[in-house]
Amino acid sequence: MIQHIRENRRLQGLLLIFPAMFVMVMLLVIPLTLTVITSFGQRDADGNVIYTFTLENYWRLLGFTEQGWDDLYLRILLRSLWLAVQTTVIVILMAYPLAYFIARSPEKRRNFLLFLVLVPLWTNFVIRIYAWVMILRSQGVLNSTLAATADLLNVPFQPLDLYPSQTAVLIGMVYEFLPFMILPIYTSLEKIEPSLYEAAADLYANAFRTFWRVTVPLSMPGIVAGTILTFIPVIGTFVVSDILGGRQVILVGNLVQRQFLDARNPPFGAAASIILLVMTLVLTLYYTRRFGLGEEIAAG
Amino acid sequence: MNQRRFWSALSALLIAALIGAACAAPAQAPATTGEPATGASDCPEPNPRLEVTSRQVNLFVWTEYIPQETIRCFEQVYGVRVNKDEYSSNEEMYAKLSAGGANYDLVQPTDYFVPLLIRQGLLQELDKSRLPILDSLDPNYLNLDFDPGNVYSIPYQAGTDAIIVNTAVVDPIPQSFADLWNPVYAGRLVMIDDSRAIIGATLLALGYDVNTTNPAELEEAKVKLAELARGIKLFDSDSPKTALIAGDVDLGIVWTGEAVIAKREVPSFEYIYPTEGAILWQDNYAIPKDAPNLDAAYAWLNYSMQGDVFWRMLEEFPYTNPNLAALEYAKENHPELYEEYINSNITNTPPEELQRGHRIRDVGDATPLYDRVWTEIKGG
Repeated sequence: MIQHIRENRRLQGLLLIFPAMFVMVMLLVIPLTLTVITSFGQRDADGNVIYTFTLENYWRLLGFTEQGWDDLYLRILLRSLWLAVQTTVIVILMAYPLAYFIARSPEKRRNFLLFLVLVPLWTNFVIRIYAWVMILRSQGVLNSTLAATADLLNVPFQPLDLYPSQTAVLIGMVYEFLPFMILPIYTSLEKIEPSLYEAAADLYANAFRTFWRVTVPLSMPGIVAGTILTFIPVIGTFVVSDILGGRQVILVGNLVQRQFLDARNPPFGAAASIILLVMTLVLTLYYTRRFGLGEEIAAG
Repeated sequence: MNQRRFWSALSALLIAALIGAACAAPAQAPATTGEPATGASDCPEPNPRLEVTSRQVNLFVWTEYIPQETIRCFEQVYGVRVNKDEYSSNEEMYAKLSAGGANYDLVQPTDYFVPLLIRQGLLQELDKSRLPILDSLDPNYLNLDFDPGNVYSIPYQAGTDAIIVNTAVVDPIPQSFADLWNPVYAGRLVMIDDSRAIIGATLLALGYDVNTTNPAELEEAKVKLAELARGIKLFDSDSPKTALIAGDVDLGIVWTGEAVIAKREVPSFEYIYPTEGAILWQDNYAIPKDAPNLDAAYAWLNYSMQGDVFWRMLEEFPYTNPNLAALEYAKENHPELYEEYINSNITNTPPEELQRGHRIRDVGDATPLYDRVWTEIKGG
């Protein structure tokens, strides 16, 4: 037997990919198939799934209900998309200068700085988001600091009404996903040969031009990778919006989660998650066709 | 491995961590509360002590409803590990229980969910001979119409859904559910995230039955509630008191225990029984059909509810307490807690409020109507 495996390269390959394939089939292909099947079903009064074939769930999501036109779910989809776009853009704008700073630091200090970026991730994600509740609430850390400052300067102060709100959700998302943008951008910036900057300088490019024509294009793979790492999870997440939105800011992730739990309508939740999946897939495909695959994802 | 590779590999790891974090809901797997503690014998002895061979017991209970001390003591006196999973709505509990495979030994359905769980065959009949604790319970909370004869459930705690208001900052003070629609309250409201309670309060404000199955009335309630929802700042079933005490919100609809604790922290909070009548409820313990640790489940029921253990509820989760032995014990040993309980119109619901209060019932085939109203309200 052992001898047989040793001689058969094809068999070796199959054995090596078997664990990964097994996991993919068990945890991805089968559940996804079940989700698709469920999404064509209906619920009974007690919330059990009746397996039939109806497109009703999809029609309802797209706004065509028995009671007429209702764009509730389309608005939820758009809201999620818009929040994901906002988060991604803000995160890029914040992460780029920091990644640039780290990449240009002396080699010895870089590791330490990257370590600092990663330290917050040692704390549980839910706890970090709860911490933002303490910061943003009406008599929280932020408002009391501002109030004390305003008091010192003798200016009138109106507490900021940040928690719970959509702005709080955006802040939480930006905070959560910042490290995942910094790292890929850093990786691609760090790869740029210093001689390229010298060459640009030799050709009389000023600092701005060098940045725009040399640095940015060469760091695009990092930006693309970071964008994919941010955009996709933000669209689907529900924990941040539950905690910081006071269960009032509904994203498509919340919609899906609630249909499976509170609303006892798994078929509708399944249909919503399939729509989310298709939407994410289409956007990602378009984006990667347009800008390349973001090689940093492949950790080259 | 050079540095660049190292960081690339690290980002790959992060991707995995990120995906995990983004998908994980808080506390999915039963969270262990640690190894049974030994040594200190400050815990009351079980009376009677039941025979237990199971090594653990899996509780599926409401958030903020079991004192940590009770868990620690049970682990200590029985040497059984307590695993606790929590939920914040009956619907969530039902969805997880009916999905199966969770191996829970005890659940805490509210009154109107008991018939649904029974109908779906999710509960097992209780063995009364293993429940001496039943003798300690107030007969007023036994043998109710959601489970005649307590075949499947025994009472845990009871209470009301009514209006909490910080009288120091709110003017005028609302006297009815209908008053909550006053525009001066917009943006200052907190509500428990409970579909039947909040839709129920809306139906009462409209003058309809809290258990209506009339689609037209529910449609009207939806429109009415949508109006209120824009002014609701926060839905929170886990701890609405936190936002009330912190001043994020000033009034709303909450449960008994949340109101008591808010008032303890900030005395200007008052609990107003609405003129339409409050919503009355009772939470119960029941045993799922395929509970794997039956002996430990019965031991937990008897021990956690015996008088010298359950009195703690008056302090930590002060709801209306159906446990006469616990009240008796508190009267003897913690008179200040007992006084607070018995003199509070929140925990000790006035008889006339019990008289005019409304009980939520299982609405059977009309359930999808309620679920849909709730989805459309919460989605907007």
